[in-house]
Amino acid sequence: MMADRQVMAKDGGPSKLSSFGSALVANGFTMYPVLLLLVIVGALVAPRFLSTINLINILEQVSVLGLTTIGLTFVVLIGRLDLSLEGIVGFAPMLAAVMLVPASAGGFGFELPGWMGLIVALGAAGLIGFFNGFMVVKVGLNPFISTLGLLVLLRGGVLIISNGRSIYSPGRALTYLGSERVLGVPLSVIVFLIVALIVGLVFQYHRYGRALYAVGGNEEAARAAGINVDRVIWSAFVFAGLLAGLAGVLMTGRLDSAVTTQGEGIIFSAFAAAVIGGVSLGGGKGNIIGVISGVLLIGVINNLLTLAQVPSFYVQASTGAVIIVAAVLTTLASRRSSGMKTRT
Amino acid sequence: MDRSRPIVEMTNIIKTFGSTRALRGVNFTVMPGEIHALLGRNGAGKSTLVSALSGFTPADEGAIRIGATALVANGQSYAADIRGDIAHVQQTPRLFDQLTVAENLFIENPVVRNRWGGVSHALMIEKATTLLRDWKIDIRPTALAGQLDAGTRQLLEIMKALNRGVPVMILDEPTAALSNAEKRILFDHVRALKAQGVSFVYISHHLDEVFEVADTVTILRDGQVVTARAEVASLDVETIANLMMGKATLRSVREDHSDAAAPLLLQAREVRLKPGSKPISLDVRRGEIIALAGPVGSGKEDLAMILAGHKKPASGQITGPGGKLPTIGLVPTDRHASGYVGILGVRENVAVGGLGLLSNGLGFINRRKEAEHVGTLARLTNVIAASLEQPVGQLSGGNQQKVVFARSLCQSPQVIVALSPTRGVDVGAKEQLYALLRDLARKGLGVVVVSDEEDEISQLANRVVIVFEEAIVDELVGDYSMKDLILRMEGVA
Repeated sequence: MMADRQVMAKDGGPSKLSSFGSALVANGFTMYPVLLLLVIVGALVAPRFLSTINLINILEQVSVLGLTTIGLTFVVLIGRLDLSLEGIVGFAPMLAAVMLVPASAGGFGFELPGWMGLIVALGAAGLIGFFNGFMVVKVGLNPFISTLGLLVLLRGGVLIISNGRSIYSPGRALTYLGSERVLGVPLSVIVFLIVALIVGLVFQYHRYGRALYAVGGNEEAARAAGINVDRVIWSAFVFAGLLAGLAGVLMTGRLDSAVTTQGEGIIFSAFAAAVIGGVSLGGGKGNIIGVISGVLLIGVINNLLTLAQVPSFYVQASTGAVIIVAAVLTTLASRRSSGMKTRT
Repeated sequence: MDRSRPIVEMTNIIKTFGSTRALRGVNFTVMPGEIHALLGRNGAGKSTLVSALSGFTPADEGAIRIGATALVANGQSYAADIRGDIAHVQQTPRLFDQLTVAENLFIENPVVRNRWGGVSHALMIEKATTLLRDWKIDIRPTALAGQLDAGTRQLLEIMKALNRGVPVMILDEPTAALSNAEKRILFDHVRALKAQGVSFVYISHHLDEVFEVADTVTILRDGQVVTARAEVASLDVETIANLMMGKATLRSVREDHSDAAAPLLLQAREVRLKPGSKPISLDVRRGEIIALAGPVGSGKEDLAMILAGHKKPASGQITGPGGKLPTIGLVPTDRHASGYVGILGVRENVAVGGLGLLSNGLGFINRRKEAEHVGTLARLTNVIAASLEQPVGQLSGGNQQKVVFARSLCQSPQVIVALSPTRGVDVGAKEQLYALLRDLARKGLGVVVVSDEEDEISQLANRVVIVFEEAIVDELVGDYSMKDLILRMEGVA
């Protein structure tokens, strides 16, 4: 048959430079030049910026946001969203804390052994994700409204189970991941990087990852190809919940306490990081390399603004402005490289 | 009104879709108060011609006059200019499901506006009630359009158009979803309006309807008029079939690799498409190509989806040899809606059809195996792309369809079910896909094809199963002729 014609280069195809650019964009490297630029600017503006301590500090700060964003990426890849992740970041470790500490310290009085803390936190997070999947797949709710409701519910739930008081020193087993350092590197950073590596490999090379992209790109086509679409959607919510729970545990570890306001506002940063990193809110597009760039970008900007002693009101406003600019850049870059319009 | 002057005159109409010349200089006239049937096989250009007339898809060249409005087509939209002169009822109803029957009937219709320009709800309900009574349709005007059955929806669409009081109406396959009683009501109204001087352009796949209701017939073939303005009384079924068919223009011929003794691959037993419909039994054997044919809404697509295991029958079951279902590959009917993932590359699109086959015990994909397998399938299906990483959304229609075929073959299926396998595909790609399907049958696959095109069926199928009203009503086997096929598909024989 026409064996040699199967792959045909188009005449006058794109130049080497522009195809290199397209590959960068397609593989999620769009924001890394911007990141590099920021680092250079940072080094000039604030000499302390490039110190090892500060860089590690940035990584430690972004690991919680990073895990939440990776979790969010699961559901965004299939064209859904999950606002309740923010609630999970606060609720899951708080539940674990009240199960561990004695009643005198604000607990339920179960005083479970310390190693149960992680299981309770992640178990609760997974169950909440399972519930979200159930609502979307079986009940047929729009995930925006069902997870918004759950977010508010979990915020209230944290106050109920903690009686409105933060719980300090909930136990070594629960705080270990978020507070321990290995050779000077926070364990939370290592956890974040390992999760990012595994999830990145799954997205690119595992059949589950392929199914996520297919469902997000065209749900009906995925169904026709024989993929169990309902199961993929459902499980994506569970993974998202689990990762948000893990993020919450890291945060509790870093603070050595389960705080009632823990995680507030993190879902906005997570969405921003995902979009900056090239994840399409329409589904089917994005990867972990990009997500990491988005997370780092937000972390570096926050850090720089703080180092430059910009008043905190301005930090918030300028972060918002940067998010918009970065999102515009990412969208333009992906449109130019693929020639296709995507909903960011 | 001058009854001797045509109300519609179309002169030298040309319309091209990509490389397909759908209309090649067509002249078409309609007299006042005439029911003019437009006949021709699928793809002859009937729907394109009436869409050019109503401006739904503007013609590229030619002159159009409707009543006092005359224009020269240049590919730009002119629908707004002639909106007051013509109404076009399309094959599938375009109703607003979330609005009520009354709102649907009188949308953008000035008769229900009060003197400040607001829509009077009471007036609308009143007018809708009268209209529904007039059409003997027993539904509330406040019912939501989305809740109605297909026949009522079709009638509503027709009523909405007739309501506008235009002198020319286009009815494109209006009876496809109608019951016999509903058909009678429709024909009564058409005749009544005809008596008032309204003209109709009527497209139907049922020749008996044409004989019943039409005055004049124009027959199209390959985008050209072969018979203009013939009196219906001067024609018979035989003559019309011959005119529609024309000289055999077959580019390739079917091959027969079927064998009545070949092992069974897939079996439908006492399957009902709907509760209460007639049970269907059908065997698919190695090496045969079966075509499911029949009018729109006959249930042939449903039957195919049930065979492919993508839809549950109302009752009955699908089995394979020894009670074990074979691996089945599906080419869905609308490749844009459910065929390919536009933002993903060829490789990912194809591989998604056989993830189980390409991944190891842990579920990780074997990249080398994937590259080899996808490459083989892309060669087999003749996919032409810049690389296997090119997004499928950027490929031509024919290549997209080949990717869908490659995906359906990725799991190495024993049966392949292909719905409208060459819809919107150019002639060259069509031939390649036909060759592919014949090749698969030769290799011992069972092939089930759903098609509306007589050419396609006769070029492929060793067995044609005619589906009508959710039941198998006829079957053509072996050496059937094109004429047999056309007559059965038109519901005459």
